[in-house]
Formats: sequence, C-alpha cells, structure tokens
Amino acid sequence: MAVKGLKTKDQHIINLANIVNSPRSILYQKEDLLAYDCDGFTIHKHLPRAVVFPKNTEEVARLVKYCHEHDLPFLARGAGTGLSGGAIPLNGEVIISLVRMKKLLSVDLENRRAVVEPGFVNLKLTNSISDKGYYYAPDPSSQYCCTIGGNVAENAGGAHCLKYGVTTNHILGLEVVMPNGEIIEIGANGIPDAPGYDLLGLLTGSEGTLGIVTKITVRILKNPEAKQTVLAYFDKVADGSQAVSDIISAGIVPAALEMMDKTAIEGVEAAAFPVGHPKDIEAVLLIEVDGISAGIDEQINEILDVCKKRNVREVKVAQDEAERGRWWANRKTGFGAMGAISPDYLVQDGVIPRSKLPIVLERINQISEEYGLRISNIFHAGDGNLHPLVLFDARIPGETEKALAAGSACLQVCADVGGTITGEHGVGIEKREEMRFVFKDEEIIAQTDIREVFNPKNLLNAGKLFPTPGRCVEIKKEMKAASTAAN
Amino acid sequence: MSVREMDIKADPSCTTNSLSNYLWSDPPDENKWADCVHCGMCLESCPTYEHTGQEQHSPRGRVHLIKSVAEGKLKVNEMFADPVFQCLDCRACTTACPADVDVGGLIEEARGQVRQAMPLTGWKGTVSKAILEGLFPHPNRLDSLGGLLKFYQKSGLQKAVRKTGLINIMPKHLVEMESIMPEIKESVRKKYKNENVIKAKGESKHEVSFLTGCVMDVMFGDINEATINVLTRNGNDVKIPKNQTCCGALHVHAGDRETGRKLAKQNIEAFQDSEKIIVNAAGCGCMLKEYPELFREEPEWHEKAEEFSKKVEDISKYLYDTGYEKPKAEINKRITYHDACHLAHGQGIRQEPRDLLLNIPGVEMVHMPNSDRCCGSAGVYNITNPEMAGAVLESKMENVPDDVEMISMGNPGCMLQMAIGVQKYGRNQQVVHTVQLLDWAYQKEDEGKEGK
Repeated sequence: MAVKGLKTKDQHIINLANIVNSPRSILYQKEDLLAYDCDGFTIHKHLPRAVVFPKNTEEVARLVKYCHEHDLPFLARGAGTGLSGGAIPLNGEVIISLVRMKKLLSVDLENRRAVVEPGFVNLKLTNSISDKGYYYAPDPSSQYCCTIGGNVAENAGGAHCLKYGVTTNHILGLEVVMPNGEIIEIGANGIPDAPGYDLLGLLTGSEGTLGIVTKITVRILKNPEAKQTVLAYFDKVADGSQAVSDIISAGIVPAALEMMDKTAIEGVEAAAFPVGHPKDIEAVLLIEVDGISAGIDEQINEILDVCKKRNVREVKVAQDEAERGRWWANRKTGFGAMGAISPDYLVQDGVIPRSKLPIVLERINQISEEYGLRISNIFHAGDGNLHPLVLFDARIPGETEKALAAGSACLQVCADVGGTITGEHGVGIEKREEMRFVFKDEEIIAQTDIREVFNPKNLLNAGKLFPTPGRCVEIKKEMKAASTAAN
Repeated sequence: MSVREMDIKADPSCTTNSLSNYLWSDPPDENKWADCVHCGMCLESCPTYEHTGQEQHSPRGRVHLIKSVAEGKLKVNEMFADPVFQCLDCRACTTACPADVDVGGLIEEARGQVRQAMPLTGWKGTVSKAILEGLFPHPNRLDSLGGLLKFYQKSGLQKAVRKTGLINIMPKHLVEMESIMPEIKESVRKKYKNENVIKAKGESKHEVSFLTGCVMDVMFGDINEATINVLTRNGNDVKIPKNQTCCGALHVHAGDRETGRKLAKQNIEAFQDSEKIIVNAAGCGCMLKEYPELFREEPEWHEKAEEFSKKVEDISKYLYDTGYEKPKAEINKRITYHDACHLAHGQGIRQEPRDLLLNIPGVEMVHMPNSDRCCGSAGVYNITNPEMAGAVLESKMENVPDDVEMISMGNPGCMLQMAIGVQKYGRNQQVVHTVQLLDWAYQKEDEGKEGK
C-alpha cells in the first residue's frame, strides 16, 4: 500500500517508505537528516540520503534487497554512540536505523542465554534479569544507551572485559540479513563451537560491512557472589602503572582494572559526577575483584599491599554499593566529561603489552607537547587498552587536523611497542590509514577479499575499516586480476 | 558494478564561513553547545527519543541542530521548529549529561528565535496570545477565571455539559483534562489580600515571602493554604507580596522570552525586600532560579536576577534545611513519590521531599521505578502536543505501583497530568502535593489533642 503524506518526488524514497509502511518511519528532508551526519565520532560529517526505521527482520530484508537491486549504498545504525565513525554515511547511504527493533525476545535462565533485537540497549538486558540474579557481562562505558546490535558490529569491550572477555565471547547466535537481502542464521540454538568456519567470530566486529544483524542470542551470567572495589591514588604515573603489572603478576585477575591520569581527573572532577579525586595526583586506579565470597578479602588485601609497595598515596575500599556506584559513574562518563574542559575531543584506542605502559605514557606526553594539544588518558590498564583523549577546539582553524595527527602518532607508538591500533572502538573511518601500521598490503587484501564474498557490490558501509586502496594495493589487485584472466 | 570508496571531503565541523542564521537578539549561547561532545549518554534519558527513536528528537540531536543554525547549515523554519518544540523541556538530559550541557537553556533560547522568525498565526496565535499574554500575567483575571470555574462546577453547569454531550465538541485530550479538574477552592491571594503578614503560630523565627503561582492558586488554593499552614506552624511569618505575578515559565517555554523578561522584572521588584522566597510549584521555582539566563544581554538586570535567584527555595528543601516539627499523628497510607522534572532535574531536589513523607508516622513509601521520568505535563505541552504527551503519560502510569493509595509530588502541572493518567487507565490513586500530606498530619495531630 502506498504511504501518503510524503513531501518528495524521489521514487527511491517513496519505495523505501512503502516498505516500512509509514511516513513516520522514514526521514528524507535535510533538516532531519542533519542529525544523522555523524555518530560519536564527530570529525567527519556527511548527510545520508534517507533514514528508515524498520520494525522487523522482514522489513530490514526488503529494504536491503531494494538497495541491492537499485545500487543504493546503505548502512545499519544503532544508537550512534560509536567512536570511530562506523555509522557515518560517507557515501550518502540510506541509513537503516535499528532503534525501533528494541525488544527483549526471550530469556532462558536454565541455559543461560537471552535473545534480543539489535536495538535493545545493553544495560537494559542486565536490568531486566538482575532481579533473578543474572547479568550480561560486556559493559562498554556507553552501556546506558548503546545497543547490543552496535556492540556486535564493533565487538565492543568494556571495563569488565579484563576478566570476562569482550562481546564476541558472549555471542551464541545471530540472525543476519546479508547484503543482498537474504536472511541467514548462524549459531542457531546457541550451541557453541558449531562445525565449519567460525562465522560468528567473523561477523562479530566486522563493523557493519558483512551483513546486518537482526537478532542476537547472547550468553548471560550469574551475578558474582561477592564484589569489592578499590580506589588508589598515586603521585607518580610510573608507580601506578607498575602496580597494575604487579597485581596481574601476583596471579589476581581483577574483574576490572582502570586507570585515569591527571588531565582525565581534572575533566571528570569538573563534570557532572565528581567524587573528590585529589587534583595533584598523577594517576588513579579503580580496581574491582569479584567471584565467590571465599578469598575475596585475601585478594583485596593483596592488592592493597601491592599498592603500598608502589608508594600509593591513599587507597580505599568502597564501603557500600552507593559509593561503588559513584566511582563507576565518575569513570564511565569520563569521555563525555571532557566536554567540561574542552570543546572537542578525539579518543584513541590503542592496545599495548602491559609492561610497556610507563614508556608509552611518556611518549604520549611528548606527543602532547609536540602538537601543543592536551592529551588525557583514561584506560583499561588491566588489558593494556589505552584511551588517549586528544583535547582540541574545532573552531580554531587547523586544530582538528593537528588533533588527528596527534591521535595517529599515539597509535604509531602503540604499534611500535608491539601493540595494535584498536581494542574495542573499531577502525571505522578514523583508523583506516593506521591499519597500515599493523597490516601489510597482502594482509589487507586478504581481508577485503573476504568482504567481497559477503558484500560483493560493496554497497553496505563502504569506505570503512580498511584504508582507501593505496596505489600499490590497487596495482597488486589489478595484477592479480590480470593474471587470473590470463590463466 | 561496485561502488567506489570515496575519499572524505566533508568540512570539519565549525570551519564553515557562512553566517549564523539566528537573526535576533538573545540567540542560543555558543558556550552551551561547546560543552557537548556528541557522546550520546543523553539518549535514553529523553522521553521523545524513547518514543520516536529519532536523533532530531533526542537531546544531542537537538543541540546538533541548534548549532547547525548558528553555522549557517540550517534556517530557522518549521522543520527546525518541530524538534525544538517537541522537546518536553523536562531536563532529564541535563541530569544524564557527563559534561553538564545546559540543553534546557539552549532549547528555550532556540524557541525564542523560532517565535520571532515565525510568530504564531491563526487560532493558535489567538489562543496563545489570549492565554499567555491576556491571562497569566494578570492575577485579577486569573482569580476571575477561578471564580468562573467554581461557578461552572457548583452551578450544575458542569453536570449539564457532561450530560448533554456538549463536552464532546472539545478535542479528546481537553475532555480528559476537564474531567479531572480539581474542585476549585478559594485562592490564598484573595483570602489574605488584606493581611500584610500571616504571623507564625507561636514564636517567630524567620520571615519568608511566598510566591503563590498561577495554576497553583487558581486550581489548588488548598495546597497554597496547606503551604502557609506548614510554614506558620514552623515559626515562619509569611508575606505574600502584592505585586508578584506569574513566574513566566510558560512564556519562556513557549519562546516568548520578551514577556518572560517583563514578568521577571516585576517579580524581582515585588520581592526586592524579601530574604527568602518560598515556592511550592517546581516549574515556577526552577524558572525563578533561572531568571539570570533571561538577562544575558542586560547586565544590570542580570545582576539583580542573580541576587534574586539565590533567595528562591522550594518548600520541601526549605523545611528540610531549616528543620521542622515532625508530625506525631499517623497517616496510614501506602504512598509513592513522583519526581517533578523541574524539581529533580531542574533543581536537584530529590531526597528532601521523600524525607518529609518518610517522617510522617504510618506512611509506607513504595518506590516508583523511573520516578524521575517526565509525566508529559511539561507546562502546557499536554495541550499543545497531546499525542506525545499521551505516550509519555502511558509509560509513566506503567511505572506507578499497583498497590499504592496515593501519588505524591511537588508540582501542579504534574498533579493535573497524573490525575488524568489515574482516570484514563482506570487506577484509583489519590494525587497529592507533598506539603498537603504534612499539613494533614499536623491537622490530625491537632484534632487528636482537641478530642482529648
């Protein structure tokens, strides 16, 4: 049935509106589209052609099929909180917004799994099952608002991934609309380790370039019996970093081991959820251990000892759930809090071997001085996942470019010490070029070849994840094509 | 054929040379949006985002659009007005925001620009002019309206209108509103018009001035009476300055900042000699505290407004801070508490009113999930945007626990809206103001003493 009330003659818009069957389920006027010109990564902006809001898998499949048949670029979007630009419509894509597919479809406590639609908000899953004693482990700091569909696309991590693993360790099954509109199911029934290729692993973290996830079966966990949280203040970053290594070396696997440096502390204390961190310290550690009650106190004592050995100025254990909550709110809103001390920020996402922490922080300090931009550091110290936040003011001509260069330099440092360029935020647009820091051309081609199997027309989220084909890559590809033809 | 991966050539934000499309004075404040880093932590706090799933109806989306107008990418037109006016102005996003972005202030400033670019015409314009300019700023006319409503209820006219079906000529949401109209009591402004000071019972410890409010005094004269009782019982001499007027919140929400400023000036002068200004309506209290925001371009008034706003206090916080006599009589009721947006998000007052209730013997407090979620009243939003207001109310009512007898809160707009909810969804809770309960407890205590 034709949808009425559209103010456009664009036949594609009219046809897409007919698929979602309501004028309220499509946006196509410039004023509305502007709000979709970026996600949590704001440095690149581009208007989409339209935004459509399907209600179910069927509609997603029909939308995708339409785009596939008419060569319209398209991409999927969740809450748009991604930090690498994965949902930015670089090519004027049709955005398929999955936020209205936000149902919790089923909870199976016996088999410890739940099925959700992609627009279901991460934290809502834990909130829906916590009264029964269960929770969903991956906890990106944006979990108050980010969607599980987006988490799958980015293979999101979080503070507690040190002990529990990232999103991919918690995905048991997916329903996926392929880039040609076909619907497939992988890992059905949540049976792990199915024979054949590990498609679940491939799809999770593919940054929306291989298909659109429309249903997700996730693993849920029983709440830990006990939980203790410690806050430790250090006068020297080096001491704080060393304490991190010592805790892990002592054989403790904390649920979370977070660190913030001086500039980050200035930010979170100036923002909405201050907890009174001293302003003159160089590092604060937030450490959480959980598990069965027996042994928790011993672990905490051991952690306190390690901190004292490393010249901690003050160390304290959360007295109750409220205090623990305040500490976490302060940490988890850390990125947004930078708005209180800087008009813009660029967050990087490098990963390094833990032992290199002091050296890398020193190098980042030098980069900050070199570029004349403040860099604050908030990171998952336990697994060596750094988040240098480059603070800048986009209103000052040239500063955005400078920030990008400084961010890239930070990633170069991570790659140089044997680390990599992203731990959990994804490559998106932001780190395409930096992929060359860690992959050779051949390795990148191997990956784009895989993409071509799933997404041969490259209409789905084109231009993300891999560097723009450089000269040599293109030539190599052409040579390969020529030699295949010759054979 | 495959699509070529294109290079990004989009301009970085804020580097455009085009001029701002805000053409009037008092435009949205650049420093307010400079705090926003587009992180999205506000999304789930926003009722209109919850119901539409659309970015332009989310806090960060609105901030993005408001900024885009200043960058010359958008014009102040109807397409811009829609997201800006769909906002409930509930301020939940300011609580959620890690960087304390003043989204509410930006929205109100943007509305000011919209109203100047596109003055309301047709019947909407006439109605808005009649009510906002012709009615609220004039206490006498409000009192007359109160009288008329009272006549409407007492004379049998209300019965007749309902019975004859005459009521059906009104839109559905207005019928719902008519049906829950509280019984009109005498306004305190009228009652005490010849008294300079209402003396404290017993020893006078403080002197406070009382802002009676418009809707509060006309529709809920009894709550104002209760407020005065509670204040005088706790050693406060209460003054009701004669020249006080409407706080202007409804005007500012509607984008009429000019009238807002006029009313603000009148109130600042009317309360010049007051040390403490007590308010029992969250919306009014929040507005009074934000008067400085209206005078960003008038330094002299800005300073006066700053001084004024420091003196404003909500009744619950005032009692909590200065100490008050704990009631001894029991009120055996199961009560849940609804956080009015402009109390919780607007003024950060959450625990104080709950404490007032918890300190009444016999009261059993039942927690309402999402208690600080907007009810959809939002000033006159439920009249101007009935569909969204209805959806927001429905979510609210789903959170009201089944087995409570009363829903307590601190704002007249919420009280009317929640009463609509109770009726519409076949519930049976009584909707009360927090201070009313305290007053009832005192009265019961006194009756007990007299009885002996």
